[in-house]
Amino acid sequence: MNGLRLSSFGLRGFVGESLTPEVVMDFATAFGTFTDGGLVLVGRDTRLSSPMVQASVIAGLMAAGCEVLDLGICPTPILQFTVPRRKAAGAIAISGGHMRTGWNALTLISADGGFVDPVSGEAVLDVYHARDFRRADWQHLGTATQINDFATPYFAALEEHLDVAAIRRANLTVVIDVANGAGCRYLEPFAQCLGFRLVAVNAEESGYMAHDPEPRPRNARQVASIMPLAKAHAGFVTSSDLGRVSLVAEDCETASEEYTFPLVADHVLARTPGTVVANCCTTRTVDDIARTHGCRIVKAAVGQAFVISTLTDEQGAVGGEGNGSVAVPRFSRAFDGLLTIGLVLEDLAQRGGTLSQRLRELPRYHIVKRQVYGEPRHCYSALDSLQHDPEWSAGAILDHTDGLRADWADGWVHVRASRTEPMVRIISESRLRSQVEARVADIARRLEREL
Amino acid sequence: MKDFLKVGISGVRGVIGETFTPQLATSFARAFGVFVGRGGVVVGRDTRPSGDMIERAVVAGLQSVGCQPLLAGIVPTPTVGILVRDLAARGGITITASHNPAPWNALKFMGRDGLFLDRTRAEELLDIYHQGRFDLVNEEGLPVTEIISDPTGTHFKRVIDYVDSAAIRQRRFRVAVDACNGVGAVHTRRFLEQLGCVVTMCHDLPTGIFEREAEPLPENLGALSALVSAQHCDVGFAQDPDGDRLAVTDEHGLPIGEDLTVALAVQAVLDRHARGPVAIHLSTSRAVQDVAEKRGAEVTRTRIGEVNVVQAMLALNSPVGGEGNGGVIVPAVLPGRDSYIAMALVLELLAKENQTLSQLRQGIPRYVVLKEKIRVRPEQVPEILRLLRRRHEHDKINLLDGVFVEFDGAWVHVRPSNTEPVIRMSAEAPTREAAALLLQETRAALSPVLGN
Repeated sequence: MNGLRLSSFGLRGFVGESLTPEVVMDFATAFGTFTDGGLVLVGRDTRLSSPMVQASVIAGLMAAGCEVLDLGICPTPILQFTVPRRKAAGAIAISGGHMRTGWNALTLISADGGFVDPVSGEAVLDVYHARDFRRADWQHLGTATQINDFATPYFAALEEHLDVAAIRRANLTVVIDVANGAGCRYLEPFAQCLGFRLVAVNAEESGYMAHDPEPRPRNARQVASIMPLAKAHAGFVTSSDLGRVSLVAEDCETASEEYTFPLVADHVLARTPGTVVANCCTTRTVDDIARTHGCRIVKAAVGQAFVISTLTDEQGAVGGEGNGSVAVPRFSRAFDGLLTIGLVLEDLAQRGGTLSQRLRELPRYHIVKRQVYGEPRHCYSALDSLQHDPEWSAGAILDHTDGLRADWADGWVHVRASRTEPMVRIISESRLRSQVEARVADIARRLEREL
Repeated sequence: MKDFLKVGISGVRGVIGETFTPQLATSFARAFGVFVGRGGVVVGRDTRPSGDMIERAVVAGLQSVGCQPLLAGIVPTPTVGILVRDLAARGGITITASHNPAPWNALKFMGRDGLFLDRTRAEELLDIYHQGRFDLVNEEGLPVTEIISDPTGTHFKRVIDYVDSAAIRQRRFRVAVDACNGVGAVHTRRFLEQLGCVVTMCHDLPTGIFEREAEPLPENLGALSALVSAQHCDVGFAQDPDGDRLAVTDEHGLPIGEDLTVALAVQAVLDRHARGPVAIHLSTSRAVQDVAEKRGAEVTRTRIGEVNVVQAMLALNSPVGGEGNGGVIVPAVLPGRDSYIAMALVLELLAKENQTLSQLRQGIPRYVVLKEKIRVRPEQVPEILRLLRRRHEHDKINLLDGVFVEFDGAWVHVRPSNTEPVIRMSAEAPTREAAALLLQETRAALSPVLGN
């Protein structure tokens, strides 16, 4: 269950079980081999395991002859922002992201600050499996240097990208919960940069996750409870790598993480229309928003690397996923929680009104998510049978970008085998609650028969 | 042998970029963590460029099994032993290939007594490594690395307190030091200045890129000799990269031979600090024995290997001893080779005897050591040793390590190498001719096995 998961984007595992220093070193040396001993940046979150993983990553890179710039505790989006500015060959982000305590992960960042593309990632994996490592001799070993002047250019760029004057004028009070993650030490400079009053929650670099660091309503209750006391205008909950954000309105509503992306997309497209990139199970609200602005929407496979690489290919204006991730390529190739918060505040400041009104203006659907458990090898054949069964998908347009998606005029269903757990995930959306529940129940029944 | 990796009693040694990888270091550090149990482990290193990388690997390996890395940074190997005891740590790891060339690096392991692991304990560690079953700790159990402040403070204080530092300070000795671009480049000036010395140094950038051969042999000390005479120094000290061995030059810059450092230390300790038996290893110069015996001290010879000398010294309650390679051991300060106590004792001798180093050298008998190696097939070794045992059954013979035969004022030692298919023969006698004759006779005695 807590097994090691290697993919072309990185590696994740459970500390004390699958995620050992050797595995991490091998993976880092493989990436160092892939960069041919180039300059590599390393940043980490605040988890108790991250210093050990960081030591292993840096040792592995040095062995391959890479020069390492060690950014210490650094949110993944700031690390990604810094990579092209330092003309690095890539970076390794060490963070458990939204995963609970005990997990940690390496994410491979490419030279442009995006995620390593699948083809390059496969090359890294091949090196890893063949143990065909680049090994520098003692005179050509890499060196590691700590740097701490990287946040200033980031905040300068943020200040330039956002309408800071408007945000300052709006005189906002903002509650932000960074789950004691990598964002802690960047909240104050962020608040100063944008000129809002900050109420920081769970912003201690204690190494302990204050709660499950996945931004979603059930983890947003602390923020919600503070909103009236702080007389706050907006509240935010982020993942431990500062990649994902969910919103809490001034009336204490803990909005689904699904609505972060549509709200920001609506705001960004109003100013800079362009192609929108979503994954194939993101809420249809995003499709509606794109249509409102007369913009094209492109669907990528599920996974942050696919969305970012599609954004690059399509020269899109904004991209994101239903888990609270938003990227604006004009700023960086990262899902950036601080930028996301900044854009929401800019939207509030420029429009006036409240966050709860703003959320109500978005077209909303009923979303139902469900899992059907089964052995991974059976999951794929079950999906295959479903695909060849015309009965349930009558009248729908089928799409195979990632798993199986069926679109009707009034809603959709997406079915795919999980990449991380032994299950099939079903997600469905519709205007009508009864209809979405009926569709999910029907597919779950068919899958359970197969599994 | 290019791809050489040596895993054994003295630790794990290998070549960076070939056999000695961070992965290997992390696995061994983890095995060591399991071996000593959860708690603090002191980690020190020399200046080699690979030290930073290996240190990170060691840290990760220790943490993964719940050991807290206590980082001493770049420190002499003997300092790590002191810190282990001082901080009540579970053990220590030193990252140094000592006198091996710069491409090498190694891990050396110390138990909670601050001693290097002996053969039994080293084998236990290897068993744990090979079994590969480790009780990894989960995230909440991971210890946080701590950095030791002023890591050499206790070490240097103990050395300075041991000798008559007031007498040394009064003389304001002019001292030249060759730090071999090692740990001495970081620490030795401060140490000697605490003893009131005026210090001038060469090879004093702590880069780990050695500007001279790492062993403090006379032929490697040209720069130091020049410095001693140019600066009109009273003495020259040459350290090895990790600061456990010391060679000395006299006031003219002439190396007195690294095998005589122990002789000077024995003289200093027996005359002014403590009486008792002296332990040296089998191939230590006969001169040390003479200096000790002249002072009524009994001399015990031990197997080669620092830990063997130290264990014998502790068992015999020996106040001073060491190895002929410049390794001085004074257990009252610390139970391991230490160039700092060696320097302090030499300075004390100069201060108290009111003699120059060349005069002190005159007081030590002169011997010549000759060495050769003979290529053999492994199966010939037992017969060679049997032949020699029979030949010398009426002589004073020591069988700890091969065959060591002691004569009046001379010895001959024959032992199989641990690393090459050869037997090593060495002989020491008052003259070159006598030593050569000893070797020649021994070789002749082996002709039934080796042919001519």
